[in-house]
Amino acid sequence: MMRPGAAAAPRPTAFSRLDFRAKLAAVLAASLAAVLWDDPGMGALLALATIGACLAAGIGARYLALVGRVMAPFLLLLVLTHGFFNVQLVLRLTGRAALTPLFTVPPSWPLAGSMVFSREGFLYGISVVCKSVTLLLLVPLCVLTTDPNNIVVGLVRMKVPYKFAFAFSSTLRFFPLLLEEIGLVIEAQRLRGFAVEEMGVAERVRTYAKVAIPVTLGAMFKAQQIEIVLQARGFSGSARRTYLHDSELGLSGRLVVAASVAAAALVVILRLEAHIGAFRAGLLP
Amino acid sequence: METPPVVSVEALSYFYPSGARAALLNVGLQVRAGEILGVLGANGSGKSTLCLAMNGIVPQLYGGRFFGSATVADLDTADQPIHAFARHVGIVLQDPGSQLIAASAENEVAFALENACVPRGEIRRRVAEALVAVDLAGLGNRHPHELSGGQQQRLALAVALAQQPALIVLDEPTAQLDPRAAREVIALIKRINRERGTAFVIASHASEEIADTAHRVVVLSRGRVCASGTPEAIFRDTALLARERVRPPGVTASFERLRSRGLFHGALPVRMDEALGALGALPPCRPFLPGDPAPAAGRPALALRGVSHAYPDGTRSLREVDLEIHSGDYVVLLGQNGSGKSTLLKHFLGLLRPAQGTVEVAGKPLSGQSMSAVARRIGYVGQNPDRQIFNATVEAEVAFGLGRLALSRTERQARTDAALASLGLSDLRGAHPLALSKGERARVVVAAVLAMEPEVLIFDEPTHGQDDAGARAILELTAALNRQGRTVIVATHQLHLMPGYARRAVVLAQGRVVASAPLREVYHDLALLGSTHLEPPQAAALAAAACRGSRAVTPEEFADGYAGGGP
Repeated sequence: MMRPGAAAAPRPTAFSRLDFRAKLAAVLAASLAAVLWDDPGMGALLALATIGACLAAGIGARYLALVGRVMAPFLLLLVLTHGFFNVQLVLRLTGRAALTPLFTVPPSWPLAGSMVFSREGFLYGISVVCKSVTLLLLVPLCVLTTDPNNIVVGLVRMKVPYKFAFAFSSTLRFFPLLLEEIGLVIEAQRLRGFAVEEMGVAERVRTYAKVAIPVTLGAMFKAQQIEIVLQARGFSGSARRTYLHDSELGLSGRLVVAASVAAAALVVILRLEAHIGAFRAGLLP
Repeated sequence: METPPVVSVEALSYFYPSGARAALLNVGLQVRAGEILGVLGANGSGKSTLCLAMNGIVPQLYGGRFFGSATVADLDTADQPIHAFARHVGIVLQDPGSQLIAASAENEVAFALENACVPRGEIRRRVAEALVAVDLAGLGNRHPHELSGGQQQRLALAVALAQQPALIVLDEPTAQLDPRAAREVIALIKRINRERGTAFVIASHASEEIADTAHRVVVLSRGRVCASGTPEAIFRDTALLARERVRPPGVTASFERLRSRGLFHGALPVRMDEALGALGALPPCRPFLPGDPAPAAGRPALALRGVSHAYPDGTRSLREVDLEIHSGDYVVLLGQNGSGKSTLLKHFLGLLRPAQGTVEVAGKPLSGQSMSAVARRIGYVGQNPDRQIFNATVEAEVAFGLGRLALSRTERQARTDAALASLGLSDLRGAHPLALSKGERARVVVAAVLAMEPEVLIFDEPTHGQDDAGARAILELTAALNRQGRTVIVATHQLHLMPGYARRAVVLAQGRVVASAPLREVYHDLALLGSTHLEPPQAAALAAAACRGSRAVTPEEFADGYAGGGP
């Protein structure tokens, strides 16, 4: 039997055994690099490294493929938007007077006729796509490889109030259940003849909109069940409690934290002082 | 000397915030240390509300108006915070999956102990002890959702046990389990009660389980306690049970039929062992041997030919299945959880594609047919109607699927009106489906499926959560649809409900069809049922024990074997 949200089933790896705080430090350092690096080449390397880290940490290729499928339309939209419309920012970043056209939409096309798709805009779009992919995958890399209870303990050790830590971990636990519920409702719609692959865009939107009623109802029921269960188990939100497992940073965790802090500092210094990671230092001639 | 009460309920009345009628009305009862109290009653009688009142969830979580008192360990449930009762009262709910919240079995058990500030060493000891007690030792690191339904319910019991409460309250603990898992949970409850002296309150529709487990039984009727006594006293009062829509155990119903024919004069047995003992007091019987119903002669409406399927994790869920469901037949699909029932149904519905073999609908391969084409031929009614309701009015819901068909507006309206009328929903066409009762919502879903005029109707656990009368009403509807010529398939764990409805039973085990035969033949193949961890209805088992070769499957037929009646 697969658990809800099959992604949350990574095999034990060296990364998954790390303390949550060490993972968080590594993820924050990588996120900083993703935000600061506008260079599409470096951004692509970081995104590929993140995908590799996910696979190495035991997150299944199927899950990554699913994320890719879901995000593909948005990522394509990003590339198109920057390629066609992001002129001023790219001109400023490159210091050029004009952008290099890659292609021009035939003038006879309605609405988009004569629009120019620039090479620099395209590369900036690729950079934004790489940032998005990296940031998108860093979250599951950190969260899906950690037992929710260890997340709570780790956050509490970082002085996060227990109530907030518990709410955060509960959200993580609830999310796969919600996805499962959405899947079941979509399945029920298919069984009434509403298979989205057989529909046009407008009908798809209308059909998906109708998912909201049963999903909301199901989510409310599940939330109420969870509240009953929590109350019946003596949960009061009080920070006065004990833990079955402690959160031990350990030598490996300390090394990861130290390396992450150093890497983050290096990324900032190199970006500000040597402009490494800046857009113009990338694939442009 | 009487043991002290662990819970005292006095003159308790309760109204839910939106309820005009009392969910509980002037209820008074005590649960004594070491006692197992069974709570019976029809749907809406107040069983679940009473369970939730025993640790303060009612009224504290739900609000509403609350009168009288419920006292646990000298603490008033209306005054103290709910978490104060966790160490005194454990609670296990109906749905095994939705009450498990941690990422491992041991964390699940530890959570309540952590909240109670139990030292780590003591938590470890109690977690290990509780997992051993429920036969889950060695599975502490498993994710709860990787456990079977029975294991999940046993884990929920371990959670309650680790808190070392004086009382564990179970609300329909076996309703979603297959017969084997249900048997495991009931055996565990009896063992814990015997070894630890823990008191239990069990609310259930499963009369056989209550008769077998409880020391005392109360019957609720529209929120009131209308009867209280030993299981024998309650279940022998068949007039009371009929009035309160409570199904008696199969053995009790069987002997009651004999008594009404003047063939039995003793006390009605309520458990199988008593019934077997009472057989000696009966006159000689003759085998009840009705002819098997004529097999459905129509063409195969659905067929699986050499179908195999494996899930991505490698689990082989179907293995070279060959099965034909003939047009106009009524088939019950049986098998324990994980036997492949759902996977099989999903192949018929086009939700899964076979790794090997072919699926045929009306003689044509399914692979070439669109989902909307399949939906026109096969209607599916799932266990939970709320997942199948998408619209703001009953009428829009029933017409929903018709939007995908090439029908004129007049035809759509005509089909909608006919489906509403056939389910008695015409007067509710403007109502919001979510404002209706669960039974009415289920009828809305059936009407919506019927409007598509499918040839085949598949019902997945349609009687789940229903009392006997509710379950019979749903099955009567399936029978009426079958009489109209529709092919009906029902997947269920409740074998005792199907005689009189299904003609044929298909049994699945480990992804294989191990039987596809007339219902009586399957119900009396005790070796087959045993090997697939299914249990025959008590009337069938009793008839088999009383009279070799008998094919009786209902209490009435059991009695016919003695009275000279029958076929």
